[in-house]
Amino acid sequence: MAVEEIHAEMVSSVHKVLVEAGSQVTAGDTLVVLESMKMEIPVLTERSGTVRELHVVEGEVLQEGDLIAVVDA
Amino acid sequence: MTAVQTAPSLPVSDPRDPEDRLQRFFDPGSVQALVPRDTSGVHAARGTVGGTPAIAYCTDATVMGGAMGVDGCRHVVDAIDTALRERLPVVGIWHSGGARLAEGVTALHAVGEVFAAMVRASGRIPQVSVVLGPAAGGAAYGPALTDLVIMGPAGRVFVTGPDVVRSVTGEDVDMESLGGPDTHGRRSGVVHVVTDSEDAALATGRQAVDLLAAQGKFASVRDEPDVELRALLPEQTNRAYDVRPLVAGVLDGPVLELHPRWAPNVVTTLGRLAGRTVGVIANNPLRLGGCLDSASAEKAARFVRMCDAFGVPLVVLVDVPGYLPGVGQEWDGVVRRGAKLLHAFGEAVVPRVTLVTRKAYGGAYIAMNARALGATTVFAWPGAEVAVMGAKAAVGILHRKKLAAAPPGEREALHARLAEEHERIAGGVNRALQIGVVDEVVEPRRTRRRLVEALTAAPAGRGAHGNIPL
Repeated sequence: MAVEEIHAEMVSSVHKVLVEAGSQVTAGDTLVVLESMKMEIPVLTERSGTVRELHVVEGEVLQEGDLIAVVDA
Repeated sequence: MTAVQTAPSLPVSDPRDPEDRLQRFFDPGSVQALVPRDTSGVHAARGTVGGTPAIAYCTDATVMGGAMGVDGCRHVVDAIDTALRERLPVVGIWHSGGARLAEGVTALHAVGEVFAAMVRASGRIPQVSVVLGPAAGGAAYGPALTDLVIMGPAGRVFVTGPDVVRSVTGEDVDMESLGGPDTHGRRSGVVHVVTDSEDAALATGRQAVDLLAAQGKFASVRDEPDVELRALLPEQTNRAYDVRPLVAGVLDGPVLELHPRWAPNVVTTLGRLAGRTVGVIANNPLRLGGCLDSASAEKAARFVRMCDAFGVPLVVLVDVPGYLPGVGQEWDGVVRRGAKLLHAFGEAVVPRVTLVTRKAYGGAYIAMNARALGATTVFAWPGAEVAVMGAKAAVGILHRKKLAAAPPGEREALHARLAEEHERIAGGVNRALQIGVVDEVVEPRRTRRRLVEALTAAPAGRGAHGNIPL
């Protein structure tokens, strides 16, 4: 089983969380929306599967490299 | 420069057989050997790619794992020099353990001569590498010196193999993590295109040769039906989106995106616009908000210089909030590596047209082929913003005292009003038109036509420089 770890690419705050642990997702779905550089930036999954872990809550500030979610494909 | 694996000679039906690989690369029936088949570790041939003549050499993995000695290197040098003399594209198909250990420094010297030949040809004829197996040591730097590197699923590129790494540093790593598609497609930027099969890698090599060596001419787009590109952007201006559908929408048909997973905040794509090959550079707001950073500036700079060297006109799609700020970027050399992009655009003599789709802020505005760097034409879509920074942020600084003095309840409204005023006089597209940094506001559905007209009207140029792998 392939596992996709999704990390924050830049310092940002969590604007919206759209899934929870256990959610079924398809490749290209938005998991969370981050806010940085005064923009809302969707974070997508590259694989279809199940969200196994979700590590962020709305309002939280993320550093580059922080783990956002793990998706089991 | 270490031999990684050696294998005994195998019968001709071996899928690693260089004659077979060259047959699969060229048009059927077009292959003519440049040298008789021998045990040098390299085979070379001429043939056609979609009718376009080309030269290719292929390391012979059936002999000593494709390790390169004096004779094999001589074949590569001759193939490159022949291509250079005849002004043909040259393709290297790689599966090689590097220099032949048994030949010692003589082999190293010969591999060095291969590098010198590649540099001689750099920027003068397109050089494409297709890595199908391990390419170690000298065989790693060979592809790295060429314009485009394509890697099949079994491709591995590294300076020293896992055994040497383990014995020298104790690090335990397999060939794939050391130099496989993920390492070079996502992290190092060595590989431009990763494919999921050997045949797809060879097909991508053909596509690259076709785009660079049979560039074609712009067809008239007068009768073209309007293409609605605006719908590919979100309505909310602060919403990020994937720019790749827009890139595809501007271009005709199948495109070749280079470095799709490395520095993905800028997209570099070869494709055809009204029949002619062009290179497209686009900010991708989906990744890092579309900010330029050190890696993406370097990626774009190399792409610009490659296109300039081969006379490929450029289309620059701009939606950039600025350079990515932070200490990480400074340590990464965002100033030094960002300067490469300014230099690349500044020196480019190919027609190069810019389109600001949404916004162009600050230093990144200049770096994305601004008027000041010599853009052929700068277009903007209606409502696009060209500014030092977003209006709201700007008035926050310019009117800091005024805002602080306002009663807290009215502060937000005042801020919005000041931002609107500021945008009207300083940031809107009208001001950019007035001072001549934007030439024309173009409707999204007339974009393709105007891009073609602007590129056609400009004198065709081609940069007289090599294509150093920046």
